Amino acid sequence: MIGWIIGGVVVVALGIAGGVGWSALRREHKEARNLPLNAVDFGRLRDGTYHGAYAGGMYKWRANACQVTVSGGRVTGIELVGSDDPGGENTQHHALYDRVIEAQSLPVDTISGATLTSKAYLQAVENALVQAQGD
Amino acid sequence: MLPPESEIGRVNARAGASAVPVSPETYAVLSSGLDAGTRFAGCFDVTIGPLVALWRSARASLAPPDAAGIERALPLVDYRDLLLDSRKGTAALRHPGQSVDLGGIGKGLAGDSIREVLRRCGVGSAYSNLGGNVVTLGAKPDGSPWQIGIQHPREERGLVGAVAVVDEAVVTSGDYQRYFTDRNGRRHHHILDPTTGYPAASGLVSVTIVAGDSLVADVLSTALFVAGMEKGLEHLGRFPGAGAVFVDAGLRVYVTEGLRSRFRPAEGVRFAALN
Repeated sequence: MIGWIIGGVVVVALGIAGGVGWSALRREHKEARNLPLNAVDFGRLRDGTYHGAYAGGMYKWRANACQVTVSGGRVTGIELVGSDDPGGENTQHHALYDRVIEAQSLPVDTISGATLTSKAYLQAVENALVQAQGD
Repeated sequence: MLPPESEIGRVNARAGASAVPVSPETYAVLSSGLDAGTRFAGCFDVTIGPLVALWRSARASLAPPDAAGIERALPLVDYRDLLLDSRKGTAALRHPGQSVDLGGIGKGLAGDSIREVLRRCGVGSAYSNLGGNVVTLGAKPDGSPWQIGIQHPREERGLVGAVAVVDEAVVTSGDYQRYFTDRNGRRHHHILDPTTGYPAASGLVSVTIVAGDSLVADVLSTALFVAGMEKGLEHLGRFPGAGAVFVDAGLRVYVTEGLRSRFRPAEGVRFAALN
């Protein structure tokens, strides 16, 4: 009998721990998914150099910082100036940054025929560009 | 590669031996595959497995398969040998060595399923992107259409343009997606012509289909890539409401009439409208 009770308690505890872990993961993922660059009006950018950082979601896994240059009213350069991403050594953010520079004239929600995942890099870009917006 | 314990893996393993009971979902996708084989005779074949296997090992060894191997595999590719029994809910392949491959249809079906789940959960606005297969549900939360970019086939970081869609799928088949370069510097892409056994050489480098269902868009993009533009347009004509963006080997862009007003080219891209 006591064995059954202990067993039951263990199952419930595991269930709660699993539920908590799962919901935490879900929140982190939800944050990562909801990071498009839609807060920026590319038609109203003031020239200058701006810094943007993104704290990287609840667990800081995607923390990164960038420097964005606006000249002639257009984004002309984006540079990664810091990243906590253990995979940040790779260069996928370059492709992403280039896409932002290109997409100024053609903003898209997603791309058919290509895979694109790292929205966290875009968040720091957006944070920089929000500062560049004229009032 | 299919896990051997998967339903389709079992159908393949029992080729030429016996029928295998399959779930309604698997039955439905096989049945769509069979149907596509009939509609796009010679340009789409769900039993292309033996050729896919040949070219997969070719990619691993960076050498194209020898002609004799392709000659041996070709007769095994015939969708009419996929035997479905709706009463028993079983699938079978007529000859040993035959195999089903869901490339060109599987991701499409998955996209439709995702949209269905979202819809059932009361979601009114969403998109999913399965490795470049895009499916939209409704319009954007602000009511405007989704803007779906089309990957440029030769500029990794470029777009051909964008299409505005509501509740539609946008699927692209291109020669740039999976390919290998052999020791002689020749490029071999992954979309196989079931008639020749070699990567399709129809003069197109990318085909994008906009259609209501992602399964239809997936099959159409593959079949039209193989068929080429002229024959492809004939096929497309039988799918009212479906549109296409073609890019040919000279990187010329063609947009079907119905999509014209919803297509915006990327900077520097010129396109022609097709009637």
